[in-house]
Amino acid sequence: MKTKTFMVAALTTGLLCLMAGGAFGAEVRGVTDTEVKLACLVDFSGPGKYAGASISDAFKDYVAWVNDQGGVAGRKIELIIEDGGILPNTSLNAAKKVIMKDGVFAIPFILGSAGASAILPLCEENSVVMMPHGANKKFFDPGNKWVFVPHTVQYSMACLAVEHILQKNPKARIGMIYQDDGFGREGLEGAQAAAKFMNSQIVEAAPYKMGTIDFSPHMSTLKGANVDWIVLWTYLPQSAAVIKQKTKMGWDVKLISNNTTGVPPLFQLVGDESEGYLLVTPYAPGYMDLPGINKAKEVNKKYGNFEKQLGNPVYPDYLYLAGWGYIAAAVEGLRRAGKDLTPESYIKALEGIKDFDMGGMCPNMTFGPNRHVSSFSSLILRADAKNKRFVIEESFKEPRTPQH
Amino acid sequence: MGDKFQTSYKADMALFQTLWVKVWLGIFAASLIVCPYFLSQYQLGILNEISIAVIGALGLNLLIGYTGQISLGHGAFVAIGAYTTALTSAYWGLPFVVTLPLSGVMAALLGMIVGVPALRLKGLYLALGTLAFGFIVEYVLFHWDLIQGDMGMAVKRISIGGYEIRTERDHFYCLTAFAVLATLCSKNIIRSKIGRSFIAIRDRDIAAEAMGIPLAKYKVMAFGVSSFYAGIAGGLLAHYQKWIVPGSFDLSLSVTYIAMIVLGGLGTILGSVLGAVLITSIPHGIVYTTDLVKDTYPVLGSLIVDLKVGIFGLIVVLALLFEPQGLAGIYRRVKLYWKTWPFRY
Repeated sequence: MKTKTFMVAALTTGLLCLMAGGAFGAEVRGVTDTEVKLACLVDFSGPGKYAGASISDAFKDYVAWVNDQGGVAGRKIELIIEDGGILPNTSLNAAKKVIMKDGVFAIPFILGSAGASAILPLCEENSVVMMPHGANKKFFDPGNKWVFVPHTVQYSMACLAVEHILQKNPKARIGMIYQDDGFGREGLEGAQAAAKFMNSQIVEAAPYKMGTIDFSPHMSTLKGANVDWIVLWTYLPQSAAVIKQKTKMGWDVKLISNNTTGVPPLFQLVGDESEGYLLVTPYAPGYMDLPGINKAKEVNKKYGNFEKQLGNPVYPDYLYLAGWGYIAAAVEGLRRAGKDLTPESYIKALEGIKDFDMGGMCPNMTFGPNRHVSSFSSLILRADAKNKRFVIEESFKEPRTPQH
Repeated sequence: MGDKFQTSYKADMALFQTLWVKVWLGIFAASLIVCPYFLSQYQLGILNEISIAVIGALGLNLLIGYTGQISLGHGAFVAIGAYTTALTSAYWGLPFVVTLPLSGVMAALLGMIVGVPALRLKGLYLALGTLAFGFIVEYVLFHWDLIQGDMGMAVKRISIGGYEIRTERDHFYCLTAFAVLATLCSKNIIRSKIGRSFIAIRDRDIAAEAMGIPLAKYKVMAFGVSSFYAGIAGGLLAHYQKWIVPGSFDLSLSVTYIAMIVLGGLGTILGSVLGAVLITSIPHGIVYTTDLVKDTYPVLGSLIVDLKVGIFGLIVVLALLFEPQGLAGIYRRVKLYWKTWPFRY
């Protein structure tokens, strides 16, 4: 009798739990009348930890500013910053935590394309919009309903790098050193596509494994191929190592790289040897007098620690501005969705963003039903070793190479 | 009821030796059945990860703990299982009931090939050999266009007889069933002639050979069985995560599995289970702790995030320092304490 009673009680409890689950399921996760929860998955403990603080600074400042103005459509933003650790496993754990435990509405930032790929099914299953940084071309081509990229991707930047070289010298012999992973291979793919489009070719490409610091074999190979330009799809320490190797070899080869190396620590690492180093990036240098950058500085002064952040000449302002762009796009989507905020209405709202003014800090953002990447444009910066900063070599421009 | 003195071989070899064991296992099984109704999706997700880890850890313990053959390539066999499932379901459209055994078989075949050098290599040399295998697998996964390198590939959901598993709760029942099955299989392997041969090889291989145990056969078999478990764990992981990337199966995964069996207890089935529970739970425990303190003590919260890897390492070192026999050793001591209470030896 007792067993029977226990079983009935257990079954009833289970049924009630199921019903309760169904009732909660009718509501939108992470959204109430007064609040909307957003998550930012940065890296505080993995290989990308150098980016974590600056990106989260931008998110915190922007959200504090928006909340101070009353929030969006009467809702304050609750920001959850989580350590995603950039690697696929750690990113997946972080995404599970923010979606299932914290119950966020969207993830407007996740660092690393492999990590973003790993969490994609979870986002699809739970109707969570995510915005990957370091995004791969596949996130917009063919694209995914739940993924928006408010940033120019590596493919487009690599195209522009090669076009820049070939416009200066159509007969240039171009070599490439690239990281042997999704990030580097996407750079190689873009560079090859642009070279082909311009009736040229990448004459030699040398891959390296993440963490490599000795580039003497790579540089020797490229010198053997008689290249006069090297496209670097590398991170900061590797770019610095290549610059040093170039000086050591006494080789006057020209270098052009990507956005990740466009930070002040480059000058600390290689000093005067950085002179003339070019890079392609979607963000203007933080010292520039542009409305978008001035706004970011103003907000940072009020809500952040300006002296240590945007007011500090060695602070990686590029990363702050990149974070700013992501949260700005996410909040603009919330604004457009208004009171009736659901995952579907949010997607529609984001797709409705046209020429969203970023005040010159990066290309204006445009999304559409068939376009989930905000821009293909970048600018080209040149390292000014004497003044320890990057100056504009060529202003914002889209590559001519087809991007789809 | 608690009498452990057996009077027949049958009783001595019984899977569940006393009524108490059966009662406790019954209670445990009942709690597993009802717990999904009381746990959140996130907590169920952690339990699902644990179930997969249990299967992998059981396999590695059969190799290292029971046969004494070191392997630093276990993560590679998990990867082989995961990618076998992904490829056979994506390109050939095979159903889960076929892809999962295939994952195990493929990993076992490669495991037996890797096991061949084990006939001549021991200790650190064998560790290096298996490590090299892990690197080769990692390289292939990163560079094989068919599986899209480190951008990963999609894997279908588990579907059995037309029923598709979608929720964490459904996954919980399915993955727990596989973990229980794997545990029972391991227990049975150890009770069999094969298991006794494994143990004999571990304790002294020359003596085992002198007693007529063919070393080549059983060493290769140990690698095969261990890899089969890893392959099954990989196959389940692929279906559960629905997306796999090579970065998930690097050396750190192999090290994590070794940590599971060392902390749980080498050469014990219970140790594999407890180790998998502990090692999988630590990162989530740190997340829970961080969440608890971050509002009241924000500095402490960010410090925990900064020191996360260090905290994990510290827990492992402390556990090894104070309980070298692993969690299974603690369990044995507690059990002995209660059995002999109030008398202590």
